[in-house]
Amino acid sequence: MSPSFGRGAMTNSWQDMQNSECFLIAGSNCAEAHPIAMKWIHRAKAKGAKIIVVDPVFTRTASKADIFAQIRPGTDIAYLGAIIKYIIDEKLYDEFFVLNFTNALLKINKDFKFEDGLFSGFDEATKKYNYSTWAYQLDENNTPIKADSLDDPDCVFQKIKEHYSRYTLEVAEQISGIPADHIKLIADTFAAAKPGNILYALGMTQHTTGVQGIRCYAIIQLLLGNVGKAGAGIQALRGEPNVQGSTDMANLNANLPGYLPYPTNAQVTLHDYAVSFGSVQHKPLVALLKAWFGKNATAANDYGYGWLPKNDPTNMPIQPQFFNWMEKGQFKMLFNFGSNSSVSIPDRKMVAKGLSCLEMLVVADIFNIETSRFWEEEGLNPKEIQTEVIFLPAAFVYEKAGTMTNSSRLIQWKDEALKPLNDCLPDLDILDRIFKRMRELYAGSNDPKDAAILNANWDYGEHADPFLVLNELNGYNDNTGQLTSSLAEYLNAPIGTVSTGCWIYAGVTPPGKNLADRRDSSDPTGLGLNNEYAFAWPGNIRVLYNRASCDANGKPIDPNRELIWWDSVQGVWTGNDGPDVIDKTKGPDTPEGKQAFRMNPEGVGRLFTASYTSGVSSSPVPVDSIAAIPVRGAGMVVDGPMPEFYEPIESPTTNILNPNVPTNPMAKIVSTEFGDPKDYPYVLTTYTICEHFCAGGITRNIPWLNEIMPEPFIEISKNLGKKIGVKEGDFVEVSSIRGKLKVRALVTDRIQTLKINGEDAETVGMPWSWGFASLNPGPSANNVTMNACDPGAGTPEYKCCLVNVRRA
Amino acid sequence: MATPKMVFVDTSLCTGCRACSVACKAWNELPPEKTQLITSFQTQKDYTYDTWTYISFHEKYENGKMDWFMFKHQCYHCEDPSCMKACPSEAIYKTDSGYTLIDHEKCIGCGYCATNCPWGVPMVNPQLQKSFKCTGCIDRVENGMEPACVATCQPGALSFGEKADMQKLAKERLAEVKKTYPKAQLYGDNIMGGTTYLYLLLDEPKVYGVPAKPATPISLTLWKDLVHPLGGIAVGAAALAITGGVLANFARGNYRKKAEDNDDINAGQ
Repeated sequence: MSPSFGRGAMTNSWQDMQNSECFLIAGSNCAEAHPIAMKWIHRAKAKGAKIIVVDPVFTRTASKADIFAQIRPGTDIAYLGAIIKYIIDEKLYDEFFVLNFTNALLKINKDFKFEDGLFSGFDEATKKYNYSTWAYQLDENNTPIKADSLDDPDCVFQKIKEHYSRYTLEVAEQISGIPADHIKLIADTFAAAKPGNILYALGMTQHTTGVQGIRCYAIIQLLLGNVGKAGAGIQALRGEPNVQGSTDMANLNANLPGYLPYPTNAQVTLHDYAVSFGSVQHKPLVALLKAWFGKNATAANDYGYGWLPKNDPTNMPIQPQFFNWMEKGQFKMLFNFGSNSSVSIPDRKMVAKGLSCLEMLVVADIFNIETSRFWEEEGLNPKEIQTEVIFLPAAFVYEKAGTMTNSSRLIQWKDEALKPLNDCLPDLDILDRIFKRMRELYAGSNDPKDAAILNANWDYGEHADPFLVLNELNGYNDNTGQLTSSLAEYLNAPIGTVSTGCWIYAGVTPPGKNLADRRDSSDPTGLGLNNEYAFAWPGNIRVLYNRASCDANGKPIDPNRELIWWDSVQGVWTGNDGPDVIDKTKGPDTPEGKQAFRMNPEGVGRLFTASYTSGVSSSPVPVDSIAAIPVRGAGMVVDGPMPEFYEPIESPTTNILNPNVPTNPMAKIVSTEFGDPKDYPYVLTTYTICEHFCAGGITRNIPWLNEIMPEPFIEISKNLGKKIGVKEGDFVEVSSIRGKLKVRALVTDRIQTLKINGEDAETVGMPWSWGFASLNPGPSANNVTMNACDPGAGTPEYKCCLVNVRRA
Repeated sequence: MATPKMVFVDTSLCTGCRACSVACKAWNELPPEKTQLITSFQTQKDYTYDTWTYISFHEKYENGKMDWFMFKHQCYHCEDPSCMKACPSEAIYKTDSGYTLIDHEKCIGCGYCATNCPWGVPMVNPQLQKSFKCTGCIDRVENGMEPACVATCQPGALSFGEKADMQKLAKERLAEVKKTYPKAQLYGDNIMGGTTYLYLLLDEPKVYGVPAKPATPISLTLWKDLVHPLGGIAVGAAALAITGGVLANFARGNYRKKAEDNDDINAGQ
């Protein structure tokens, strides 16, 4: 979403779902994985909203749908591409929105091409794209040239139209298994009922084409004008209560907190960083360095920029690759917090081998999970494993204070409800103790690599206080000596005079207050904005890009869902929600006041993710003594400016759209063994169910949850059941080239045999939440799943691999 | 005096997450039981003395359309409960708020309640020699709280309130749902004197595995309303036959047929 809209976050909120007229739930089984969503979806449904569910299996969410379509796993882009084509051909798009709030009119470089499965600029040797042709035609001021109409053959709109011209409903049916008339029904229904809302989760991301699938959603919503409005948008339902928070804090290896680009070894000095990324990233980086190094960060020493280790872009393993690299000796030690890698990382054999090669593994968890007991697993010989395993008993969620940031970007404070049992400690205390001890050990060192630890500002108290950590994220203003009181105060302060540990969190704890701790659930508008409940980043805005909910005069387009408006008397943007505009005093007719997507350098939503670095900063960044560097780079999607359909890495069929490039040419392939459909004819998709949470480390130790879901299973169609002589309740052996397991079979009508490229195709589905430990042990799905990742996000393709199923 | 209450079970909104079953066990401090997958996603087979509410799953595939129905089972708290009629020790009573409760001081664990309930709800704990079932969370309700199952239901399938309000809500929802499910109907309003748990079903009761017209067994009615009041005067062939019918009910477990069906599935394992 970030390359399309400018921010990689869910656009609206949970409560906002009650405002929708239509839902496309595809890649999410929210009734099972996010039960709270159903509360709001059902409220919308009671008012007449339609629910469309697309899933490889008829799920509990599907049981509440008006329209259900069974899809072959990994083929989303085929039917979504057909929907894009249909919206354009039938002129179902929102012309005002497309012309004003997207890059549809901008002209694309004449050398841009898509030929024989590849976009222009592909380098066979490195398997990477050069983006130079994925660019705009620019005028002498480095501004993209705008076409006069959507009919201009060079404009983005025509590029989209041309690209998806191959995606007919019939082609989409051949690939996805969804009947053409059903795809048409979905497109007609979703285009007619506005505002329309798209919900997705891991069903959409866990593919080698995951990012591009979500890009299809962005294109559809931009075409239909379904962004920046109550009840509209794209909702990325986060898998854990604090996943949004952890991404905000940079759990991605190319980020620093607040989504700043992580410096690479090409940016040796702070000046290099500023030149590369512009003042817009330079200022928050300085504020971050001030938060991290406190008084030790000064203008004279580049605020300690030199102490930050720099990334080597050629040497940046993503998490699913770590385990291979352990085997190669690249890593000697692993801290494993809040993760059960032995269950959750695809290709279990690889994980076990990797962990076996470590010198030390530290696991902090509330239960002795599979990862901390990996050496006990059948087939491994503990005598041959030298890894020293240290288990740190962690406190449970209710035993620690701090914040969690949910999918709605809502930063919510909670107090400790209970004292941790025995020697268990909150993660913060564990890390605080490790850091303090490490700093003692490094005392007096002159080694440059130790400087970051010795110079760090670590002032969370004798017993680390999470509120002081939140204050650090909020930041301080040197001029007042106080906590920064708002995002605006941070933005207006000269560079080097404010600190913030995560600039998007600025304003969460103004002096004397903790806005994350607010629990006023009043909702005067009835739109579920709940502005006084906790604090949403950025600046307590509840619906992102809400400028797009207004017309050219700044008046709300939908009188029943008014978010913001231009108050011409006061000369200010105001409203029920916080206005998501560059400058609240710039009217709707000014260049700033027209922009609905202010984080993009073009100021508009990106149908085509062109390579572009603006010459004029789209956010005013006040500067002190240094001149502003007015560049702002657009977020890129590494494997194409428009989504293209590629088959999953393990696929039962050929790619009829791109016979010569069947799979994503840039996919990161980690597994070494791949099955042939002759031996492994069925497509396995994996998922969670509502009774067990993620890798099950907690829930499989809760007896009441084990009672309602006591064992893993595989769901198969009745046709397949008949073919292999299996009836409901029988045990089956599920095997891939990487391993096998035995589980109970559910033989059901909820999966049907599909017709794919003229042949019958079977999908089988299995939850992945089990492992050999806990009160409720069971075989892990990652015995058979495959490790190949999306080239941009690094997310593994858990949703499709080839297996065989036979009677056990 | 407490006013009549009602729980409205809107199966069109139930997602089968089973949080109700867990919340019931948590509030009532009931232990977990050993289970396994039975059919579809169902793992709790039936009522037990430690399982007072559970969800059954029903898959229906017709003309290319899939339906997956979920049904929350618990005591229906009938207005005219046959368990109360059957209880020889007068341990079962009705509250003003509409609940059917068991007084464990008086319960002798004979199991007549279990045998004569058309849904087979009450279950006798053989160790304690007492019968157990859903209490409607009377201890919560009388203290101004919703029943535990209702309080935890996220998709909004369970609503609790004054009987008249719930009946109104049920009728409104029925009218809405009938547009897409023509066979939709209310279940509970005109059976067993009316039930305190009123259901909106999307299809016929049999699809959900529950009897369409549950009634007090005739043998029980004859015994309690005709023979028994005569104080044993009419002892004779007819009375013996009736007694035999009651006992036969008990032995065969007429109302537990559903459980037997499930056993067939288990036999395959």
